[in-house]
Amino acid sequence: MKNLKKQILLLIAMLLTASLLLAGCGGDSKPAPAKTEALKAQSNKIKIALVLPSTVDDMAWAQSMYEAVKKIQTDSKGEIELAVSERMGKPVDAGAAIRQYATQGFDIIIAHGAQYQSVVKEIAPEFPKITFAYGTGFQTGPNIFAYDPQAQEGAYVMGILAAKMSKSKIVGIVGPVEAGDAIKYNKGFMQGVAAAGGDVKTRIAYTGSFNEIVKAGEIAKTHMDAGADFLTGSSQQAVGAIKAVAGKPGTYWLSTDMDQSKVSPDAVLASQVYNWEKVLGKILELRKKGTLGGQHLTLSFADGMLELKYNPKLEAKIPADVKAAVEKAKKDIAAGTLKIELK
Amino acid sequence: MKGRTFFVLLAALVGALAIGALFILLAKSDPIRAYKVMLTGPFSSSFGFTETLVRTTPLLLTGLGIIISFRCGVLNIGGEGQILIGAIASAGVALAMPNLPGVVLFPLVLLAGALAGGLWGAIAGVLKARLNVNEILSTVMLNQIAAQLYLLLIRGILIDPQEVTYGTGVPQTALVTDVVWMTRLIPGSRLSTGFILAIVLAIAVYYLLMHTTIGYRLRAVGAGPQAARYAGINVPFYMALSMFLAGALAGLAGTVEVLGVHHRALEDISAGYGFSAIVAALFGRLHPIGIIPASMLFGALILGADMMQRAVSIPAAIVMVIQGFVILFVVASDVFIRRPELFGQWKSKWSRRSGEVS
Amino acid sequence: MTEGLEQGILIGMIATGIRLATPYLLAALGEMLSQRSGVFNLGLEGIMLMGAFSGFYITYVSQSPLLGLLAAIVTGGLMGMLMAFVSVTLQAEQGISGIGLSMLGWGLSGLFFRLYVDGIQSIAGLKAWKIPGLGDIPIIGPMFFSHHFIVYFAFLLVPLLWFVLFRTTWGLSVRAVGMTPQAVDTMGVSVSGLRYQCLILGGMLAGLAGATLTVANTHMFADNITAGRGFIAIALVYFGRWSPWGILAGSLLFSMADSFQLWVQVLGINFPYEMAVMLPYIVTIIALMISFGRVWPPAALGKPYERGVRG
Repeated sequence: MKNLKKQILLLIAMLLTASLLLAGCGGDSKPAPAKTEALKAQSNKIKIALVLPSTVDDMAWAQSMYEAVKKIQTDSKGEIELAVSERMGKPVDAGAAIRQYATQGFDIIIAHGAQYQSVVKEIAPEFPKITFAYGTGFQTGPNIFAYDPQAQEGAYVMGILAAKMSKSKIVGIVGPVEAGDAIKYNKGFMQGVAAAGGDVKTRIAYTGSFNEIVKAGEIAKTHMDAGADFLTGSSQQAVGAIKAVAGKPGTYWLSTDMDQSKVSPDAVLASQVYNWEKVLGKILELRKKGTLGGQHLTLSFADGMLELKYNPKLEAKIPADVKAAVEKAKKDIAAGTLKIELK
Repeated sequence: MKGRTFFVLLAALVGALAIGALFILLAKSDPIRAYKVMLTGPFSSSFGFTETLVRTTPLLLTGLGIIISFRCGVLNIGGEGQILIGAIASAGVALAMPNLPGVVLFPLVLLAGALAGGLWGAIAGVLKARLNVNEILSTVMLNQIAAQLYLLLIRGILIDPQEVTYGTGVPQTALVTDVVWMTRLIPGSRLSTGFILAIVLAIAVYYLLMHTTIGYRLRAVGAGPQAARYAGINVPFYMALSMFLAGALAGLAGTVEVLGVHHRALEDISAGYGFSAIVAALFGRLHPIGIIPASMLFGALILGADMMQRAVSIPAAIVMVIQGFVILFVVASDVFIRRPELFGQWKSKWSRRSGEVS
Repeated sequence: MTEGLEQGILIGMIATGIRLATPYLLAALGEMLSQRSGVFNLGLEGIMLMGAFSGFYITYVSQSPLLGLLAAIVTGGLMGMLMAFVSVTLQAEQGISGIGLSMLGWGLSGLFFRLYVDGIQSIAGLKAWKIPGLGDIPIIGPMFFSHHFIVYFAFLLVPLLWFVLFRTTWGLSVRAVGMTPQAVDTMGVSVSGLRYQCLILGGMLAGLAGATLTVANTHMFADNITAGRGFIAIALVYFGRWSPWGILAGSLLFSMADSFQLWVQVLGINFPYEMAVMLPYIVTIIALMISFGRVWPPAALGKPYERGVRG
């Protein structure tokens, strides 16, 4: 027993020695913040840090944001620096990441998850010059933007699309956990289906997790076995369901978060797309004008940050009258004449 | 002897990092810069130091529970579920009675977390003791059940009312009243008095296990249930008790996460502590004092690897790869310390074999 | 009309249950071999992930699901060998090595996916194969005989492994090495050799189990696609009390309950869905509570064998 304690103490000692040695040998190891401050004085580069709950290739929530930031960075021609932390699903890890980025002098920190609200609200007041953005959320602060996709809007119009095109009169939802965006999305979709008329049934089943890809696939198969010919669902596990839908010709999937038609070009009929580029553009613009936060940014059809994208390969399959109904609903939602009740 | 220990551990660490370096190179990044951050990050700033201890606290608390149950012969891999149950119970009690003064509410909240975690752990203990249900099976299943229960509560009756008003529906409770928040030890950090609580409990568990009759009986059951039974020890009771204590400590870990770190119960509150704590407990040789440095080291490894990901922008998966290699190498190197004669045996066997070939 | 629908539901429910049971069955049978020989392999999750990735990747590159499955089996075997090297040759603490192996498998599969596959991709995957004759029987056919062939393989493995374990000398030695390794050693049989064999075979099965998820079920790979199935498989070994038939019963019970809850959800429920999701876990615990009989775990399980030291 004693031996082991000694071993562990030794290991700690070794780590400390190693760290001292490493810290000593590189001459450039000045405290990082000072260095970045100096750098910032020289250039007007904007440093953006992105904290993601899953990975940059999850084909959903995280990837959609990552691609938008990446594109803005490329378009800026070197004016924007970008740092990314992936797999920060646990709030405790995200907290460390956000605080570290803040101390390193980043200008904008995007905490891309609803579960980051607490930690952003706690850290932001200590760093009044940094802009924080997180979502889905509503609570802002002097230097906090909260973005809030109105997932129910796209869901509603896709509900109309599904109900009007379904031959079996049954549509299925593959849900993750009944919370957050999934509630908005599912409620909007069901109301869209109901609004389309024609006595179409909506069935819903949850996997109980956000990343149970295999089970999402099984739920999709079960929906199809039980007669559904139009399916939809949110969160990163949806790709599993899309693959299952692709295995049965004549069945279609409706996507959310990003254009998922790349996953299965023959199965994804349309996608609700969050236009993060516009959201970020707005944040950058406001920041330039001196507004560091304080706004609750909704992504909706009205402000153009929410889009409906048809899969070009399958678009021709949508009958003209269905498409007209969908477009009309979209217009009405944008104009505010059509309200979707979330209660 | 000491020299050999040092050499072996150093070799294990260097070996693990060397293999890890190949993967960093594969990801087209600079391993030297990466390791510099990984090894110095947790120790070279107040941020790194406090965040390391933020990770250490739940590892230590959960690990202490695992030590008690393992010492009693119960393999508890249900820490994850027990943490969640403790977290939700403490948050629930704090939210239910926001107007009580802190001196009353704070102990009540701690008690609620410990009791709920303990009862959750005791389920597996009683099932094993009375109905012969294997604890590995029941704790794995109970982890999943706890995860669903936790989600059901934070998205259901305990959800922050504001989340409903604004229609965002994020699954988290409201902030608990600040009279029960654990004081932050260093301003601008997340290190709270929860860490001190964990250290005190480590000493308490040491005393309980090594210097009391209960501790003696717990260990006797673990050493051999048959013999313990002949000695007149109520074996089922002590098995259940060990799991109750294990659950209570894990429940406290969840409570500290709520009161000391997040101030509310929210999604994914446990960062896999239930499993990492097993590693910490076993590296600490199942000793309540040995686990203190072991969980600090493990906390530093978790944090350092995360800091490395940020510093050199490599895929997050490499973090897991390096952690996996470090664990495997260090645990495998133990044999060279424990049984140095083996090394000689293998060497002679090897030379004999190569001799036969040539 | 309703009768036809009810029949359809029953067929769907049973068929889904069998499909869901297959990866658990394969992985748990593999773990059973390891544990029978005395090694507690907590690294199953990592092995499954590596199998899932290599199966996917080789299918993706070669367009051949069979090659993919083969690659998964080989990868699983290699991971099993690594576990054997650490826990048998180097006599490391098995719980720690297993968790280390799990992390390694998760990390490596995620890393290789990032480096060598451009995001989420489709593969041709394995198609269901209806057994001629049997598959045409009404009701029974679509329930049991219209799956991809890994399903048949997994179920055939149950009697096969039972025979090997209880009717062959190799099986006798494996069981003996998990109970009294000293005795086996005295008889001149290599303890390490047998444990290596069992861990490698177990790893191969776990690798195949992982590939079942990617190559056969979902036709894709994503980070952490196994989502904890390795740990469930380990639990099922305890449910089955180290017997192939018991493990079959456990996998089927768990997966049928899972399939049942999926169908109940899809057909409409009006209570919190979490209750449904919990169902298979609760059913498994209750089933074990009410089943009687003594349990004889391999006595030397978890203890590294050191010659001359009595375990």
